[in-house]
Order: sequence, then C-alpha cells, then structure tokens
Amino acid sequence: MLVFTRRRQEAIRIGDRIEVRVLRVGRDGVRIGIKAPPDVPVHREEIYEEIREANRAAVAPQGDLSALAERLRQP
Amino acid sequence: MRSAALPVPADQPPTDDVREGLARNAIAFPDGIPGFEACRRFVLLTSDPLAPLQRLESIEGPPAAFLGIDPRLLMTEYRCSLSDNDRRALVADPDTTLLWFAIISEAEGVLYANLRAPIVINPQRMIGRQVLPDDGQYPIRHPLTTKA
Repeated sequence: MLVFTRRRQEAIRIGDRIEVRVLRVGRDGVRIGIKAPPDVPVHREEIYEEIREANRAAVAPQGDLSALAERLRQP
Repeated sequence: MRSAALPVPADQPPTDDVREGLARNAIAFPDGIPGFEACRRFVLLTSDPLAPLQRLESIEGPPAAFLGIDPRLLMTEYRCSLSDNDRRALVADPDTTLLWFAIISEAEGVLYANLRAPIVINPQRMIGRQVLPDDGQYPIRHPLTTKA
C-alpha cells in the first residue's frame, strides 16, 4: 500500500481523473473529499460490504411464493 | 419505449430460446451489482401468479437471480433520493420514470426486502444499477413475513 502524509487541504491524485483531498482533520476522524468521474463508484467501505453481503444472501428464495404474492396484492 | 417487464414466467428459469429473445431486452448494469460484479446484463421477469413480485435474472456471467418488489408497494411514502452520479450513470433526467426493485432475501425462514439499497432501472435506456445511499434511512432487512 502506498502511504502519504497529507495536511489539511492537500490532495492526492489517482490517474488524471480522481482527486482525494483532506478537508478537515479532527480528533476522531478525517473529513475527505473525493472528485471522481461518474463511472467510478465511490462508497464507504462498510456500506459496500454490508450491501454485498445482503445481495449474496438474496439468491431467489425457493419454494411457494404465491401466498406472499397474494398477501402483497392486498391493498 | 421498450418495456423492461416481459411476459415470461418468473417462477421458473427461462429456456434457451426464451433466453435468446430476452437478450434483446437485456438491461445493462455497467457496474454489476455488489457481490455479483461480473454480472453486467440482466432481464426483469414478471408473471401473473407472482405479481407484484418480480425476478431479476443475470443473462451474462455467473448465474444470479433475485426476487424483488417495487419498494413503493411496501411503503407508500418510500422516497429514496438519487445522487447526481446515480442519475448520470442511469442517463436519467429528473423527469425520467424509473423502475424500482427492492431485493428480497431469506434468513431463517423469514423474507426481507432491502429498502436501503434498491435497484433502479431506466427503462428508456435499459440501464440499471444498485444505488447505495450513504445516509440511507431505510433498513437493509425490512421483514415481509414472520417466522412460521
């Protein structure tokens, strides 16, 4: 892993399209701004992992779903 | 405008020739879906017996099929805002009518809908993506059934 020391308002560029800037340094956390093109997804790691786990657990359930479907059709 | 919903039974996998027809109605997922990043093309299947449930099935890459439902049918006040990045990726302007699909999962006999990170599809462009709002107010596991 590449490791840099950056101060407030200093940035790192990844390629020519991505900029990662340190906006604020606090006692408990660092506020970071990221500029990236729309085709580059940017997410907090823990949220991405959580959704990924949920998706993996979501293979289409087997068995009879008609009862659930019927109940969902009720207003 | 092409429709993303096809008259194919959602309760069974499509046969090969059906699959060929479906390829013409494929929805592109340029980023894949988290956990299924290699799946880039899906079809949305519906059938009367399973309505309002729908099935989102991968037609490229590893097999993957999700059962889902429009989250607005579960929660009438459901509002999930799209980021500018999401809109750009979906090639959607604010007037575009989008399809929403909350993935259903099963854990210990209980079915849940993921309201936090819905799949959003632009049916005019046939582009879809799963949106991951960082500050989502809705649960990843919204119970649809109770334990039997």
